[in-house]
Amino acid sequence: MTSPREITGRCLCGAVTVRATVTDPIVRACHCDMCRQHTSSMFMSLATDPGSERIEGPAKSYRSSDWAERGFCDVCGSTLWYGTTNDGARHLAAGLFEDAAGAPLKLEFFADLCPQGYALAGEHKRLSTKETLEAFGVSEDDDA
Amino acid sequence: MNATTTERTASGACLCGTVRFVARGVPEKFAACHCEMCRRWTGSALLDLDVPVENVEWSGEEHIRTFQSSDWAERAWCDRCGSNLWFRMTQDNEWSGSYGIPLGLFDDASGFEMSTEIFIDQKPDSFAYAGTGRAVLTRAECVAKFPALDDATSQGSDVT
Repeated sequence: MTSPREITGRCLCGAVTVRATVTDPIVRACHCDMCRQHTSSMFMSLATDPGSERIEGPAKSYRSSDWAERGFCDVCGSTLWYGTTNDGARHLAAGLFEDAAGAPLKLEFFADLCPQGYALAGEHKRLSTKETLEAFGVSEDDDA
Repeated sequence: MNATTTERTASGACLCGTVRFVARGVPEKFAACHCEMCRRWTGSALLDLDVPVENVEWSGEEHIRTFQSSDWAERAWCDRCGSNLWFRMTQDNEWSGSYGIPLGLFDDASGFEMSTEIFIDQKPDSFAYAGTGRAVLTRAECVAKFPALDDATSQGSDVT
């Protein structure tokens, strides 16, 4: 384990700046239908130190389900974060940071929902829909 | 750019369903762009299919916003949910006349094949796609085809 370091990222147009601290960060990919529709493929987030995220600029949020919201730049439409409303956590898009902060891909959610035309490379954990829902303590009847 | 003999008619929508489209002549192949602009815009890479502008009917236009992201191209999104809607050349050149529509918007995103990856050397290691056999272009190779890219896409200078 290394010590925390501060990282800074920004959206395409630069109107929104994001900051966070990271400690041995990883990248996670979510293939659920909502993330795919939002981003063109999958939502890739950087695991930042919880609560360290700072967002400055014209960010807008869309309430995408009973428990989640998604942030985007109101000037250029860049995807900024996936947030959970019960705890206020905001998972920042990895692409906002140069080289995704050098973090390795370690986990895919809803891996079985990834369309057949592409797949992420490498050895890492791939959770199916069932395994993803179990990991978050959600019943399969709920909307993803 | 990727027109094939198996083009189809397909529909799609943004995450919140406010903006919808029906497109004719949809190719079966899509490209992935790893340039800095696409990376920042989508959170990873832009996966899109080129469809001629005249073949696409959009609805919910009042919620479509566009941003001129360079001297030659614009990007559109839904102003309710933030879904990426298109990349489009606004300059008259050999790539103009089509929408690059994000694969993820299609109601059925399966059955398409990744044919090309561009700006491959700008891709973070964690955004690597599996498989081989597709065309792969570096930033320098893209700039050689379209020199204006040299000014608008950095080679990576952020402080992380």
